[in-house]
This record gives sequence, structure tokens and C-alpha cells, in this order.
Amino acid sequence: MATLDKVDAVIVGAGAAGAVFAAVLARAGKQVVLIEQGPDWQLSDLISSDIWARRLRGSGPPIRYEGRHPVGRTGDHGWGTGGAALHYSANFPRLLPADFNMKSAHGRGLDWPISYADVAPYYDRIAREIGISGDAKAEERWRPPGEPYPMPPLKTFRHGEVWVPGFRSVGITVAPGAVGVNSTEYKGRAACIHDGWCGAGCPTGALANPQATLLGEARAKGAQVRAMSYVTRVLTDAGGARVTGVEYYDADKQRQVQDAHVVVLAAFASQNPRLLFNSATDKHPNGLANASGLVGKYMMAHAGATVSAIFDEDLQNYLGSFGYQFVSYDLHPKTSRKAAFGSTFWNTGAAQKPTDARGIANVRPDLFGKELDEFLVGKARGLARITAICEELPSADNRIELSSEKDEFGFPLVRLIHSFQADAIGLFDAAIAEGVEIAKGAGAKEIWPGRAIGPQHLLGGTVMGKSANDSVVDSFGQTHELANLYVAGCGIFPTESSANPTFTLNALSLRGAEQLVANWSSIAI
Amino acid sequence: MDEMERRAFMRGAAIGALAFSVGGVEVLLTPGAARARGVPLRMLDPQEAETLEALGETLAIGARQAGIAHFIDQQLTLAPAHALLTLRVSEIDPPYVDFYRAVLGAVERATRATFTRRYAELGATEQRDFVDRLRQGKLEAWQGPAQPFVYGTLRNDAIDVVYGTVEGFARLGVPYMPHIAPARSW
Repeated sequence: MATLDKVDAVIVGAGAAGAVFAAVLARAGKQVVLIEQGPDWQLSDLISSDIWARRLRGSGPPIRYEGRHPVGRTGDHGWGTGGAALHYSANFPRLLPADFNMKSAHGRGLDWPISYADVAPYYDRIAREIGISGDAKAEERWRPPGEPYPMPPLKTFRHGEVWVPGFRSVGITVAPGAVGVNSTEYKGRAACIHDGWCGAGCPTGALANPQATLLGEARAKGAQVRAMSYVTRVLTDAGGARVTGVEYYDADKQRQVQDAHVVVLAAFASQNPRLLFNSATDKHPNGLANASGLVGKYMMAHAGATVSAIFDEDLQNYLGSFGYQFVSYDLHPKTSRKAAFGSTFWNTGAAQKPTDARGIANVRPDLFGKELDEFLVGKARGLARITAICEELPSADNRIELSSEKDEFGFPLVRLIHSFQADAIGLFDAAIAEGVEIAKGAGAKEIWPGRAIGPQHLLGGTVMGKSANDSVVDSFGQTHELANLYVAGCGIFPTESSANPTFTLNALSLRGAEQLVANWSSIAI
Repeated sequence: MDEMERRAFMRGAAIGALAFSVGGVEVLLTPGAARARGVPLRMLDPQEAETLEALGETLAIGARQAGIAHFIDQQLTLAPAHALLTLRVSEIDPPYVDFYRAVLGAVERATRATFTRRYAELGATEQRDFVDRLRQGKLEAWQGPAQPFVYGTLRNDAIDVVYGTVEGFARLGVPYMPHIAPARSW
């Protein structure tokens, strides 16, 4: 075992949130080490193949998924530097003001300790930092005004455009989606050429993955990445008042201790609670930052409702990006649906390849053999789909706990217990029914509503709030109990909205990192 | 660079070759070529491979010739973190060979119990009926992993080798348009 020279900050996880913290700290001249469980991917590793792209996902210690609607290894789960953002859809819808005060306004869910106005400047700054294409004016029918996006919306294609009359037919207005994909050259990065390989990771620099944006900048400014290194515990001083660094096992499975003035937990939302639990001491018997007993609680997923349809034309559905061409917040108001409470976010227009979970072949999982071939060779050229992301309210029953099973180093694994409650199921059912009407209005020849409620994204488990009585961290991600321990990522969201979380987790990370730098002398003593 | 120049710049060479051991030397072959050359399997026994090929052919026409058994066998020789099987994005723990052996054994037991023959010996109609019942979780004599999950996993494997390659895309009329073509082994 070696104890390594003390650094200013150690960041656990080199995904989107970790990259923001690393870049901001490195800009401020701080010595930063990122410890990443998986490989250190380079852009040149990003081979255009859904089969190859599986290397970027789903490895590392097992996670146990339980409950009536197990979240499973969602598409968000990354493996290696860049995390899930290495191969993401780069959808950047933002939360709306009503997402921040649900408890106060409706008596449901939780309140955020901050408002939309606190986050809005960071949305605009992240848009400039990493490059977002979109139409702010068109979005402002749903949200307060802000800065224009730095690039115009991405080019649209028939497999997205074909749905617009259908949305209109049911009274839903759409606008171009805000996506982290370059519609023009931006900051020396190329414009997208619409080949639809975002899900395999984009090596051209057009997709705003961390390697091409903030992780790259952090490294250029001196941040170190230690790949294939698995953090087991956050370490504290004898009095339990401060964290002193992390224990990890390196690529050779040797135990190391990295001392640091500040620790930022930016691992996957399921893994930050694992580390907090496994770091228990006599001063923190239930785990770090867990005096409230809320570590692991309020885990959330989105309920994804997809309707696929066949149209009587070649839609060239393989073109474009994985990002949305069109979106709608029309059903975002929490009481939009009579039967269920919460928000719905409609979207369409992601490119589709033949294989993999989101591929065309799995639109009809019931087909095999000759019928599958006929579908893929013939009808699939006219295939398009729409998805509604439906909000799930935070529930303490949905939680992340330690498992009785251990990892290879003898530390407990995690189990994720998740069941959608009645509201999320009601929103899902309403969206499926609405999606069928949209498809009819769009002139679809055949319509296949998704039957199974599919969990998407993973949020919560280390939620923010006003005090240690009601939450794990404050609005900056700083734990209430240990001033030099931060948690970053969508695990700190107390409610999830119906919007994809990436934009907000980037904005919150920027806000948290800058607060840390601004108060460095009092936090990193 | 304009779009076409950039595509050309990023385009790799041959597609979809795997690293097979032939006579003690590693050579790059597509799974189909490895099958055609009779490259020995390292993880699956001949009966397991025969069953897998027959199942693959039922699920996606052409899977046998495309080398589904050689594809999976080669993948099972790799460390789990390097595997390209759909199984790695499931909740199944490695080693993945345990899953395939459990599945293939369960298929044999179920077909023998129902038809008194091995799966590969069944007629095409019987094979289709068996797979359709597997899909729906209706095989009464089944003793193995959850039937719909087995169906989905094997179906995805078969789709990978038949439709997931550049040649597969071409057959579907889908331009591959790689940024970086999969020139190395998969």
C-alpha cells in the first residue's frame, strides 16, 4: 500500500460531472486527480459499431436490481473516462421553474433549496462552454428568457419531421431540441455530419463528450486521470470532521491512498451512495453524510413511453444524431394529466441503427427468422418513433442499499430497489395512448405502442436540501456534515422533472465547482 | 476538411474480423470465415456449437453461416471487460460461458423432453414452434434462465452476426457511414 502525495482535489469518476469539477478546479490552478474505474478512452477508440460500443458500457462490479420495475443497466451507465456522456444522446433539455418547488406548490415530492433563477445562468454558461445547438426563442414559450444557444438547431430529417403534423393534430406544439452536438464548427470542433453513430461514441469532436470538451481541457491544464482504479472508501480524520482522501485499488489491484484537501464524488448515481456507506467509521456509523439516514433514499428513474410506427415512405431513419430533432414541454405542467400527477416531455427524431437495444430490430422483439428479415429489409425503412419521458416522484421506498454480496476487495456491493408508483404509471399509460393518437394524426400505416414501462436515467440517492435533517448535500453538492466532501451528478436532484438530466447536472456541477473555488481557503483547510 | 474528405480520412479497412487462433498463430478472420475454415472452438463443445448454430439460424436467417458459434466462442475467451456480447449490458454476472452452457443445456433437455430429439435434429417448423414458446415463456419442461431473457439474448446475438456488420447493413440498404470503421477484431 502506498500513500500518495497530497493533492488539492481528488475526483471519483471521470464522467460529465467529474469533468466539470476537474476543469473548473484546474483553471483555478488546483492540482486535480480523477480516479476512474474503467479504461481511459481516447476519441480514436470510438469505433462506429453498436457491437464495439458495448465496450463502453456495463462492466465493473455487479449491481443488484430489484423491485417491481428494476432500473437495470440503463443506457446511461458508462464505463471509463467520459462515463455515459462518452456515448450519450446529448439531449440538453433543461428543467423548468415548476420543477424546483413541487412540494410548496402542490404538496407532492420535494422542494429544491434553489430556484430556476439560481441555475439559469449556469445553463447559459454550460451551453457556451461545451457547445449546444438549439433555438432558445422557440423554447421560451415554455421557459423564462435566457441567452441564445451558441449554434443554430441541427438539421432535421424525415424520420423526425414526419411526426410534426401528428403532434399538431393533438394540439401539441414542438420546437427544435437543444442538443450537445455541433450544428456548425464550434471552438475548433467539427460540425456533425449526421451519420448517426453518437451511441457508439463520436470521434469527430462534433458530440460534446467530455473528452472533446471539459475533460480534455482539465487534462490540458494538468489534471491527472488514473484509469482502471476502483475507489473503495473515502477516508476521514480521527475526529471525523473532515475527509482526508480516498482509498482505491489501482490497475494492478494494489491498494493506494490518495490524500487530498477536497474529495468530490462524481461516480454514477448508484456508486456515490456505495462509497458513502462503505466509508462508515465510529464517528459516522451509518456512513458519511448520513446522519439523516437519507443516503440512498429517493432514487428515481424516468418512465419512458415509446410509440413506434411505420410510414409509407423511406424515412432514412439512420441519418442524424442520437439527439432529439423536436421536443415539447406542453405537458410539463404537473397537473397536465387528469389521471396522474407529474410532467411529461415529448421528443422525437433520434437516428436508429439496425441492432442493439435501441435498434430497429428490437422495435419488434416478437419477430424472428423470416418475419424478422422481411421486417428489416422492407418495412423498417419507414420506421420512426416518438418517446415521452414521464416523471417519477421521489419516494423513500425507492432506494440504494448495500448488498450482502461483496466486491473483489471485500466491500459490499449495492442493490437498487425500484418500483414505479401510481403517478408514473398513470403518466406512462396516458403518454402511450396519446402517442397512438399522434401516430394516427401523422398518417402512420402501422402503430406499435410500447407495452412495457421502461426505466430511463438514474437520479437521486444523495439529494440536496436545506439541512442535514432533510438531505445529504446542499445546492452546491457540498455535504452538510463534511465541508470538504462534495457529491456531483444527477444523484443530488431532489426531483427529476421529465427532462433528460445531463444539462442540469452540468449546470449544477459548474455552480458547485465555482462555489468550491470561491471558498477554497475556508473549505480546503 | 469537408464531409466526404473527413469520412474518407476516418474510414478503416476490413470489417468485422476476430482474432482466432489457427495453428497456434492469431489471425484475423470474420466469424463466418472462421467457421468455413473449421477453426477449432475453444469454449463450446461441438454439440453446444451445433445447438447454438441451429438456434441462431431459427432466430436470424444466415446466422449459422455468419458464424454465430465462432463469434460467441471467441468472445467467451476474452476477459469480461473486453467482451462485445449483449450480455455485458444485462444483469448476468461473468463468466458468461456459464450462461451459455446453462442455456444450451436447458434447450437440449427441453427438446428431448418434448420431442425426444435434440434441437438441431428438429424440423424447421418444430424449431420455430420451440423458439416461439421460448419467447413467450411457455416451455413447460424448461430448466434454465428466464425464457424471454434467453430468447432476447440469443436473438440479439444472431442479429449481431447477420445484420450488425457492414455487410449486414448493406443487405438492409442502410449506408454504414462509419467515422471509424471496425477494422480491428471484434
